[in-house]
Amino acid sequence: MMMDRRKLGTILLVVSVVLMLVTVYLAIFFAPLPQTGVKSAGEILSSVDESRLQVAGFVSAVYDRNQSHVYDRVVFSIADFRDYQRYLQAAAANHLDQQWWTVRPIDVESRSGGLVGGQGPDIGQRIVAGANLSVNGIVASHMIAPNSNVTGFSLLSYNGDEIAFGPVGGFGLMTAPVAQKIFYFHMPSAWACYLSFGVTLVGSALFLKTRDHKYDRVAYSSAEIGIVFATIAITTGPVWAKQEWGVYWRWDDMKLVTTFVLWLVYIGYLSLRAAISEPSTKARVSAVYGILSFITVPMSFLSSRVAPLLQSSHPQVIATSSGSLSPQAGMTIGIAVIAFTALFITMLIKRVEIAEAEEELEELKRKIGEEE
Amino acid sequence: MSDSWMALYVAYSIVWLGLFSFLGYMYLRQRRLDKDIKMLKEEVSRHGK
Repeated sequence: MMMDRRKLGTILLVVSVVLMLVTVYLAIFFAPLPQTGVKSAGEILSSVDESRLQVAGFVSAVYDRNQSHVYDRVVFSIADFRDYQRYLQAAAANHLDQQWWTVRPIDVESRSGGLVGGQGPDIGQRIVAGANLSVNGIVASHMIAPNSNVTGFSLLSYNGDEIAFGPVGGFGLMTAPVAQKIFYFHMPSAWACYLSFGVTLVGSALFLKTRDHKYDRVAYSSAEIGIVFATIAITTGPVWAKQEWGVYWRWDDMKLVTTFVLWLVYIGYLSLRAAISEPSTKARVSAVYGILSFITVPMSFLSSRVAPLLQSSHPQVIATSSGSLSPQAGMTIGIAVIAFTALFITMLIKRVEIAEAEEELEELKRKIGEEE
Repeated sequence: MSDSWMALYVAYSIVWLGLFSFLGYMYLRQRRLDKDIKMLKEEVSRHGK
């Protein structure tokens, strides 16, 4: 039995390593820059807290111009209504070189193919050919949350001869910096962490029902592995955020905070176990804690979906009404999820074996102690 | 190399190093435990004689 389990663990380890290598290859050379959960202008406007923001804003384009309506460098920003008024005043006074609302210039990769995917309305296609529609940063406290997926705003363009301002419906396709590909490992890490804590929940419940310590072993082994995956998810996330948002962390983002709380809660689970020495009490108390702490998993998973935009600008990954992954991106992320699931099972098998070995060692020590 | 590429490499390194360091740690730990168990079992059997 033991041999079988070890064999299974080894096979799954090989499978997961191969699939992870395939994921790296696909992520870098095959999959497009992931487009995740693009929010439409309507969604953004409806989720805006009006006490903080009068008007959702607009994306302005200020650029070096190659030819009419086609620019190789675009600065996008979002500003509120007051900024728009100021913009109009500046435009009227012919002072468009003043960019009070500029958040952070984004160097645009020049491409001749138009928007990624070749879609989008004319105005979008002309103005943002190959543009990176990331919005990076905050103008002021009333500013809409920085969100790499904010698109669909009215687009204001100025080409020296005319000012065009109007809603750009369907302006959903976007690209993002290469760092967006971090997503192909970040999201599977988060998935594996949720899965691990789910196993902890099931193991804890089964222990309380049967009082069989093998379930306790599975529960705490899984929790430990879950913390490793959660640590990877909350470490790689900020690397991406620095590129997309301009900051590593945002304490006002519900997704980030709830995931951090999830991490802390499971660190607490292991600390609790370490603090109790009597095995039965340890198993019983941690089983109850393991069940209660699972509430942080849906809190973390759902936070970016239920939170208004201003409270979470974390991209939504799984298909929503406003956007989903392309087939290539979906395939890549699917392979990565399988790889991480296999890796999780490998780790769980190994960690449970260690837990059994630790118990056997304790038992042997006890026997020797009794004999002496 | 752009910052964006650098960020990608940093993140991927975190993933690979993090996961496989943990796996390596577990394999080493098990090896040590197996060794200890074997030693104690021999001691128990010696006491038994």
